[in-house]
Amino acid sequence: MIAELVLATVFGLLLLGIHRKVIARIQRRPGPPVWQEILHMLKFSFKSTWVPATASATLFIGVVLVAIGIWTAAFFVVFTGGSLLVVFAIYMLHKIVEHGFGLSSGSPYGKFGGVRSVISAASEIPLFVSVAAIAIFTRSFTLSDIVLYQQVHGPLLFIAFPAAIAMYLVILSKMPSGPFSIVESKELVSGYKTEHFGVWRAGLEVCNGLKTTVLFSTFILVFIGQVPILWMVVGMVLLVISLSFACALTPMLSPFDSVTVQTIVTGLMLCYGTFLYVGGVA
Amino acid sequence: MSNLAGIPYYVLEFGDELVYFTPYTITLFLLALTFTIFVLVSRPERQVDIAFGGDAYTTKEITISEMRFRRFMAIACGLASMGAMVTGDIFNFTLFTAMVGITNVGIVAAVKSPHVQNAAFQYGLVALTATVPLFGGAAVYAAATGSLSMIELAKGTLPAVPFVAKAFLVLGVIGEGMAPFYAAKAEMFRAPGAPYVIMCSLSSLLIFLRVIEVVMLG
Repeated sequence: MIAELVLATVFGLLLLGIHRKVIARIQRRPGPPVWQEILHMLKFSFKSTWVPATASATLFIGVVLVAIGIWTAAFFVVFTGGSLLVVFAIYMLHKIVEHGFGLSSGSPYGKFGGVRSVISAASEIPLFVSVAAIAIFTRSFTLSDIVLYQQVHGPLLFIAFPAAIAMYLVILSKMPSGPFSIVESKELVSGYKTEHFGVWRAGLEVCNGLKTTVLFSTFILVFIGQVPILWMVVGMVLLVISLSFACALTPMLSPFDSVTVQTIVTGLMLCYGTFLYVGGVA
Repeated sequence: MSNLAGIPYYVLEFGDELVYFTPYTITLFLLALTFTIFVLVSRPERQVDIAFGGDAYTTKEITISEMRFRRFMAIACGLASMGAMVTGDIFNFTLFTAMVGITNVGIVAAVKSPHVQNAAFQYGLVALTATVPLFGGAAVYAAATGSLSMIELAKGTLPAVPFVAKAFLVLGVIGEGMAPFYAAKAEMFRAPGAPYVIMCSLSSLLIFLRVIEVVMLG
């Protein structure tokens, strides 16, 4: 399973590289090569590493390990057909990781990035409603059951389209340079990860690669179903290209507007969830 | 749907009370344990404040007595969170949740900053008010089903849990620090002492994640 884990990390970083490249081409820039994020991870692995004098050293280092740990767990849950609820929990707990990254250094830029991360927690609620809507249809939170349901009834993308839109927005909120990327906007230098350099940043890059693979593959498994690995890869590339268009053509929202938009989406999703629950659609 | 979090790996019984570990609850429990260990072994950071537009900056120091008190409250918060993650009893869950609210206030109460103190006071009011629907929800569970055991509720043999009981329980948990009531908590995060402050956000999130499982039972 170690080989799969490494492959998933590298592929996730490649997807992030494609994301940067597509954004650059839309904006008529040459952009970095698609393997730039992999090079970043390797470069940081061999650069000098330090802990800032003002940092809470244990938390500063420990939170990097937690970040890798939770997404490794999520990877195994997804690829063993485990509970979607665990993936949802890990996704929400990533907020705490960002918060820890930001606060532990003592830097005001990191702190504001971390606080913005917690404030934008509203973006996670649509994911919960999305998960609940899926459970109303499939009567299960287990990924393997959800895949089986789709083999009989067809893709949930068509059956529960609003839930797919909500999860798409949730993934968009985690993409770099997106409209909701307020946690790492440039007025905060690099936001919550400003002070993490060297091996610690390489660890964060590994976490980002894994997170991207896990979220994309979860989206495809939940809304399209089990497909051959080649089609899974094609689907993930198409997904990242569509997200890149959204990121390239949309300005980054202010923190207030970002939370407002996410809250509106949450409200709409709650209406949809209530409609399904009360109406007994499934 | 009743066996939401999977088959328990392990059940520890204390008479009527019990603790159980499913893949879901064990994930949440391990996260609470990890960050509680961080609280135990970490020293607080020295938070840097910059006067934007100038080049002046200051670092905040935390005194030993303040650090001891806040560390104690953060550990108590971690223990309450761990209890709430693994308990199999709805009343115990509400007790742990209420304790999380109290310790959240305690974690920042010793910080000598008016912004933080105001935020802690406002959050404290919301958290205290939220205990009414929280315990009310548990009472309706007991009245309607005759049991507060999550294992019994998961079996599906008891009368159905009224929607209002679940709504009360969720409302109580939201009041302990989830959206939209986390607005007060954001100001609490101005406080220095990252390992302790992070317990405020972690505990609320964990409690929210657990209540999702609880309301799906029965």
